[in-house]
Amino acid sequence: MFKFKSANKRIVLEDYSYDYPYSYRRKKSSFKRLLCLTLVTLLLSGIAWYSVQADTADDARHSSALSRINEVQAGQLLLQSDLEQRYQTAELKNSKVHFSINGMLANVALEQSFNNSSGDWVEGVYVFPLPDTAAVYSMRIKIGDRVIVGSIKEKQAAKKIYLAAKQAGKKAGLVEQQRPNLFTAKVANIPPDTTVQLLLQYTQTVNYQQGKFSLRFPMTITPRFLPGLPLRAASSESAQLQREVALANQALTLESGLGWGFNTDVVSDGALITPWLNPKASDAGQLINPISISADIDMGMPLKEIASAYHDITVSKQQGRYQLQLSAGQVSMAQDFELSWQALPGQQPQAALFVETIEGEHEQAQDYALLMLMPSQQQAAAANIAREVIYILDTSGSMAGVSIRQARASLIMALSRLRPQDYFNVIEFNSQAYPMHRQAVAASANNVQLAIKQVQNMEARGGTNMQPALQMALQQSDDQRGVRQVVFITDGAVGNEADLFKTIHKHLAASRLFTVGIGSAPNSYFMRKAAQFGRGSFTHIGSVNEVQPKMAALFQQLENPVLTGITITWPKAVVVEQYPEKIPDLYQGQPLLIKVAAKQLQGELLVQGYNGGELWQQSLILKHKAQHSGVAKLWAREKIAQLLDEVISGRDEAAVKPEVVAVAVAHQLLSPYTSFVAVEDVASRPSPQGLVPMAVLNARPKGQAGQSFAYPNTATRSQQSFYLGLLLLLLAAVVYGLSLKRREQRL
Amino acid sequence: MSRRSLVAGVLLLLALLLLLDSLWIKAKAHLAQGLIRHAWQQSLSSGEPVKPWPWADTWPVGRLQLPSLNVDLTILHGAQGNALAFGPGHVLASADLNSGGTTVLAGHRDTHFAFMQHLKKGDELLLSNRQGKQQSYEVSELAIVNSQQQSLALAASSALVLVTCYPFNSLSHGGPLRYVLTATAI
Repeated sequence: MFKFKSANKRIVLEDYSYDYPYSYRRKKSSFKRLLCLTLVTLLLSGIAWYSVQADTADDARHSSALSRINEVQAGQLLLQSDLEQRYQTAELKNSKVHFSINGMLANVALEQSFNNSSGDWVEGVYVFPLPDTAAVYSMRIKIGDRVIVGSIKEKQAAKKIYLAAKQAGKKAGLVEQQRPNLFTAKVANIPPDTTVQLLLQYTQTVNYQQGKFSLRFPMTITPRFLPGLPLRAASSESAQLQREVALANQALTLESGLGWGFNTDVVSDGALITPWLNPKASDAGQLINPISISADIDMGMPLKEIASAYHDITVSKQQGRYQLQLSAGQVSMAQDFELSWQALPGQQPQAALFVETIEGEHEQAQDYALLMLMPSQQQAAAANIAREVIYILDTSGSMAGVSIRQARASLIMALSRLRPQDYFNVIEFNSQAYPMHRQAVAASANNVQLAIKQVQNMEARGGTNMQPALQMALQQSDDQRGVRQVVFITDGAVGNEADLFKTIHKHLAASRLFTVGIGSAPNSYFMRKAAQFGRGSFTHIGSVNEVQPKMAALFQQLENPVLTGITITWPKAVVVEQYPEKIPDLYQGQPLLIKVAAKQLQGELLVQGYNGGELWQQSLILKHKAQHSGVAKLWAREKIAQLLDEVISGRDEAAVKPEVVAVAVAHQLLSPYTSFVAVEDVASRPSPQGLVPMAVLNARPKGQAGQSFAYPNTATRSQQSFYLGLLLLLLAAVVYGLSLKRREQRL
Repeated sequence: MSRRSLVAGVLLLLALLLLLDSLWIKAKAHLAQGLIRHAWQQSLSSGEPVKPWPWADTWPVGRLQLPSLNVDLTILHGAQGNALAFGPGHVLASADLNSGGTTVLAGHRDTHFAFMQHLKKGDELLLSNRQGKQQSYEVSELAIVNSQQQSLALAASSALVLVTCYPFNSLSHGGPLRYVLTATAI
C-alpha cells in the first residue's frame, strides 16, 4: 500500500516539473489555472502521503513502547512522551543517608549516585523526594573526581547560568524545587563512563506526637495523577490560551524532567513531577536503587523503643547516644523510612527550647529559637457531643495493591468506632466521586453494617479527581449535627496540590479535615498541608499492622476536645518574628511548636488557649545553655512556608515571591523561587560531541500493583482514506468536466 | 489529450487507490476472521496455539460472542497493530482470558469493535478461552477516557474490559480518546 502511494507522489512530481515550463510556453492564462489544480493535487496527495507516514510512525512508536512493556513485564509505563525514544536511563547505586538527631533537630546528609555507563556525553535528570519540611541548605556534585559546589540563586537566574554552562560544555549542576517534597536535579556534561554523586544536606524538625518522636524519609514517588487537559492538544480557541500552550510546550522541550506526564491546564509542570519508575518490582529479591541508612540520636536522656516501622535496624548505645543502621546493610528505595523513639515513662519532655545565635556583620546578634511546649494532659471528653463524620476513600489506580487493603481496613475500623448518636457518610472517589448516601445518615448498627459491606468490595482503578469529592464532603448539610469532621484516606498522588488546598481553605467553614496517608510512598506534603488548611491533623499508615494503633490515635483526636484560640504573650522588651503567626488548634497528644527570631530572647512567656470553653494557660521561662546549629534555617524555612500559604489563602503571588527570595537567599535555602546551581570553570565536553539526556529512574513503591500501562491504538486509517478518496473522486470529476467543456469550446 | 484530462486521470487514480486502501483494510479485517476461526477450531481440538497463516505473528486465544448484536469474534494474541488489523487482540499485560483477573481486549473502532457503540449497561458478553472454559460477563460500566492522561489500571476482580478508539466516526485515527467498557463476571 505504502509503495503505491510513494509512487503516486513521484508521478505527480514529475508531472509538475515536466508540465510547468511546457504549459507556461503554450498559454499564460491557462497556466495559472493549471498550476492551481496541480498544486491542489500535490497538496492532496501530500496529505495522503502524510497520513500514511503518520500511521507507520504511530505503529513504530507504539510497538517500541509495547516491546518495552513486554520486556519489563508491564511496569509503570503510564504515558509516552515524545522524548521517550531519545533518552537513556540509569539506576541509582549505593546511596547513603545519615541522620544526626540532636533534640528536636535532625541534620541529614544524603548522597545519591548514578553512572553514565554509555559512550555518550549525557545530561542526567533525576526527580527525587525529600521530607516536605526539609530546609535544604547545601548541594555539591561530584562528577568523576571533580567536585562542584552549588550556591543559591533566584530560580530563573540559576536556570540561565546552568543552560549557558551546558551549552559551553562545562560540567554543571542544578537542583530545583518543584514541590516542597519533590525536587529535580540536573547534571550537564557528564563524560562517558563516569559516576556522578549528588550530595545534599538539609535540616528538619523531629516530629513529636502522642509521646513519640519520629522522623520520616521518603524514598520514592508514587506516580501522580494530573487532572486537566494536556496542553499539547492545543485545541483551544482563544489566542491567549494558544500562546500559553505554545509557551508551555516550549518549556516542555527546554526544561523537561523527562517525565511520563504532560503539562496540563491544571498542572502546568506535569512533565517535571512525573519521573519514570523502574519497571522491575523491588520486592523480587533484587535491590532497586540500594541505599544504606544510619543515624545517631542524642536526646540528652535515656530512650526506649527505638524502632523503624518498615525496615529492620540494629541499635547500639554509647555514652548516652544511640547509633543505628540498617540490619540488611542496604535496602531498596521503595518505601519511606520511618524512625521513631520514646522517652522513658515519666520523663517525656514537657517543654524545650533550642536556640541558635547568628552574629551579624554590622548589626546585633540575632537569636533564632525553636520552642516546643506540651500542654499538660487535657481533661477527658466531658460532653459526649454528637458528630457528623464524612469519610472520603481514594480508590484511584495508584491505590491498587497493598494501599487499597490498608485503606479499606482503616475505613472499616473507623466506621465501627461510630457511636449511635453520630451521623456519617462515605464518599468513594477515583475519576468521579460516588457518595454512599445523598446526605449523612444516622450511624445505626444497620447503616454501619451496610457501609462496611460496601467498603469491603471497593477496588482501586481510574484517576484521582479529588476536587469533586472534597467539595462534596465539605458541603454543609442543612441541619447542624454537632461537630463536623471529614476523614480523608488517600495516598495523595496528585499534581494539583495547590488547587486542592485552595478548595479546602475556601469551603472549610466549620468542618475539620483529617488526612490519613496510605501506602509505601504517600505524598506527605499533601497530607500535612491539607490537614493544616483543614485545621485537623494527619496520620500515616504504611502497613496493615499499623491500622489499629494509628487509627486509634486518630480517634483519640477526633473524640477529645482540642486546645483552640492559642495566643502567646512574649516578654515586653522582646520583639519577635514568630512562625506560624497564627497558632493552629492542638489535638490530643500534639505539642505547640513555633519558631521565632528575636534580638535577645529572654524573660518569661505566657501561653493561653481554650480547652472546651475553659481558659487554659501555662508560662515558661526562656533560658538556654547550648547552641543548636540549624535552628535559623528551620525558622527561615517556616517563614517561607508561611509566605507560600498566604498565596493559597488569596495573597498575590507576585508580591510574595520577592519576600521568599529574600529569605531563601539570606539563609541559602532551596525554595520554589530559588535553586542551587553549580558550574565548573573550564569546559570539558569537546564541542562536536552532542549531549544525550539520561533519566535516573525511581523505584516502584513497594506493594503497588504494577498493572498500569498505556492504552493500545485502536483505529485504522480506513475512514480517513475513504473520505479523502471520495473527495479526490469529486475533484477528478470536476477537472474532467472542465476539460470536456474546453474541448467543446475549441470545436 | 489535454492537460486537464491528465490531471483528472491522476486524481481519479489517487481517489481509487485511497478507496481501495479503505476497502482493503475492511476486507482484510473481515476475511482474516474466517482463516482465524479455522485456526481457532484447530487449536481448540489440539490444545496448542495454531497460526492462522504460516507467516502470521499472532494466533487465536479466545472467542467473544454477543448473540443479540450478531457479534462472534475470534480474539488474537497481543494488541499491537499487526494483530489488531485481523482481529481484536488480548492486551498481554492483563490477565489471561477467564482466569479470574481482569482481561483487557482491544479492537479497532471502525472494524471489529464497531459494535461497541451499540452496547449498553446490562448487555451480556460470552467469552471462551482455549481450554474451552466459558464465562459470561455483564456490562457494568461505560467510560470515555483520555489515554494521554490516564493509564489503564486493572482491578484484581474477575472482569472483562473492552477498549476501542473514540469517537467512533472520527476521521482522524491518532486521537487520545478511548471508549472503555467494563463487564463483570456473572
